[in-house]
Amino acid sequence: MSDDRIDPLNLTAQLNHTAAGNPPSTLPESAISNAYPGLEFDIRTIWRRLLVGIELHEADNYVVDAQPEHQGLIGRRLISVGDHDVIGPVVGPTRPGAGSAPLTSAGNPDGVMMLEWSNSLADVLADHVGRTVPCLFTADAAPNPVGKPAQLPDPRFQVVELEVRPLFARSAATGERLAVIAEDVAGPGELTSGLCSPWQNDYRECACYYWAASRPDYVNVEDTGAGTTTGNHWFAKDREPREYVLDNRDDSRLVSYDDLFRDWQGELRFIVGGDDAPEHLEADPEGR
Amino acid sequence: MTARDLFEASAPVHPDVHLLDTDAGPRVLLADGSRLFGVGRALYDRIDAARRDPDPEVLDAVLADLGLDAPRRIDDLAPDPPPVRALSLAVAQKCNLGCTYCYAQQGDFGGPAKNMPERTAFTAVDALFRDAAPGERVNLAFLGGEPLINRPVVRAATDHAVTVSRRTGIPVTFSITTNGTLLTPEDGEFFEAHGFAVTVSLDGVGARHDLLRPHRDGRGSYQRVMDRVAPLLAMQRRMQVSARVTVTPLNLDLPRTLEEFTAAGFHGVGFSPMLSSPTGHGEMALPDLEVMLEQMTACGEEFVRRVLAGRRYPFTNLVTALREIHRGTHRPYPCGAGAGYLGVSADGELSACHRFVGDADGAMGDLATDPDDAKRARWLTDRHVHRQEPCSGCWARYLCGGGCHHEVIRRGRPACAYIRGWLHHCLSVYSRLLAARPDYFAA
Repeated sequence: MSDDRIDPLNLTAQLNHTAAGNPPSTLPESAISNAYPGLEFDIRTIWRRLLVGIELHEADNYVVDAQPEHQGLIGRRLISVGDHDVIGPVVGPTRPGAGSAPLTSAGNPDGVMMLEWSNSLADVLADHVGRTVPCLFTADAAPNPVGKPAQLPDPRFQVVELEVRPLFARSAATGERLAVIAEDVAGPGELTSGLCSPWQNDYRECACYYWAASRPDYVNVEDTGAGTTTGNHWFAKDREPREYVLDNRDDSRLVSYDDLFRDWQGELRFIVGGDDAPEHLEADPEGR
Repeated sequence: MTARDLFEASAPVHPDVHLLDTDAGPRVLLADGSRLFGVGRALYDRIDAARRDPDPEVLDAVLADLGLDAPRRIDDLAPDPPPVRALSLAVAQKCNLGCTYCYAQQGDFGGPAKNMPERTAFTAVDALFRDAAPGERVNLAFLGGEPLINRPVVRAATDHAVTVSRRTGIPVTFSITTNGTLLTPEDGEFFEAHGFAVTVSLDGVGARHDLLRPHRDGRGSYQRVMDRVAPLLAMQRRMQVSARVTVTPLNLDLPRTLEEFTAAGFHGVGFSPMLSSPTGHGEMALPDLEVMLEQMTACGEEFVRRVLAGRRYPFTNLVTALREIHRGTHRPYPCGAGAGYLGVSADGELSACHRFVGDADGAMGDLATDPDDAKRARWLTDRHVHRQEPCSGCWARYLCGGGCHHEVIRRGRPACAYIRGWLHHCLSVYSRLLAARPDYFAA
């Protein structure tokens, strides 16, 4: 062990240790517990390199990159790993009141959809970690979803043996598995690179009462004395008249995506105790 | 490391951090969260200098620099009294042995000898289940005195608890602590059927035991106990039969005791120093505790040898310590007494634990009126380790919890050096085993 190294050994030490490259928000005490795609980290990221030699899209069964020996797999689709399918049929009613039927379209003629990796690959990890497992791919590049063939072999599909990579790092001190995600699964910064961006986008995207604390909905609320209240939507550009404008991204009385992209820091206001903070109401005497 | 070396190496320097030089390398224990780290030598030296610096902010700055300055996990506030999920019934406040050091003063706790009526035991069982929610479990323990003097109530209360458990869906586990002299094969079958944890008090092998645990007429009890325990040892599958050794200056031969009881087939063998007896008989002083620590580490070395060879060795003290260290257990109390665990006297009075039967210091109301939550809240406030001295300056306070309430209230804390030395040894063993046999901790 190098002289400046610190290695968490027991479970509490591991749980509360900030692994190299991870932000403070990955610790339990600072987590906001929203991890899909999340505010602390994007859990989907950890599955991208589970199979040694290829890199999958975090939200699609699509091979986006590969090591030289598997270059031919780029652009193809992964259908199953061992006994576990990573796609499932999409079914539902096609008109109100109708029964469920396969939902197909020109872009998805087989009517299938990728299953979220945490659901489809968790058992693969548990059963096959450190070993190779037969992986079924489309034989050719497949920009659109492809269903699983009824029988194998099928010339439109190819089986490639790939190794299942361990998800967790091992202690340099003991060799024991740590409660830390291995660096070759997700390098420094990768867990957070795809996070949502509340100020520019997601305050607008996730509407009414989704952001309980950091994005209030109804502010400057006053009792009318008649059992009702008046107040503003936080996103209202003008606070007069004092009325709640129903959330609608096309309503020009509310801050729009463009407004946020251009000047979120100018548009959004601090709310203190449910009301606009004073600096947003009075002219700044120093003109800042 | 000798016991003297362990005393020295484990002496408190700083309440937040303890350093260990183990065979597996330098180690840092942070008291907060009981977090254990492996470090390089330079970092070890840096933390060592910081913990000795008179300016308390120096260590804080080093910990912050290392990203270890998390919010403290244990504050000064006592928790609200939790629901009671474990009761021990003093079904017989009398005993057929005459152990001089007994906290229960030969079973009757200094009062008239008595048995718990069946109705009181049933009321206690009903109270135990009353507020339990689905998914929770409860534990019912039988103690005394010698509980098997009142065998019919042990059996009836167990059967009643099983009935209530089936009706409510709340699982129940059972335990009994006995001197073993009255055990019968039928008891064994009953305990096996209900998966009891059976603890037999045995204070050594042969004459050692007889010296400390004689019958009231002075006859020894060892052979009788071993004869009566033998069928239980042979039949234990669901039940677990363990030996509990109370260590006094007269029975300090621990490795032989452990070896003998392991060979006899006990599921676990645990040692506990006698720190407070009503008469002062058998209490351990520091020189005795030094010998005991020497003996405990010898038992620990044998444990390591066996585990490295892939074998089981039921040295309960170390098995438990390793499990708690691995989890990073950190707590402001030594046990659940007065919190989720209460004792019930033969008369139905509630107390902080089985040792406080008939004792105003640990009185917690009675079965007729439910636990006295005001008294429990006061207890939890008063007994919080942050309010104990010299605990607030000790790195081991969240592993130790401040020591047995009963012993502390009666005698104080004469064994801190022993406890710290033992924990230091356990932390060293943990570091070695984690490196050599990480699979030991995987389960």
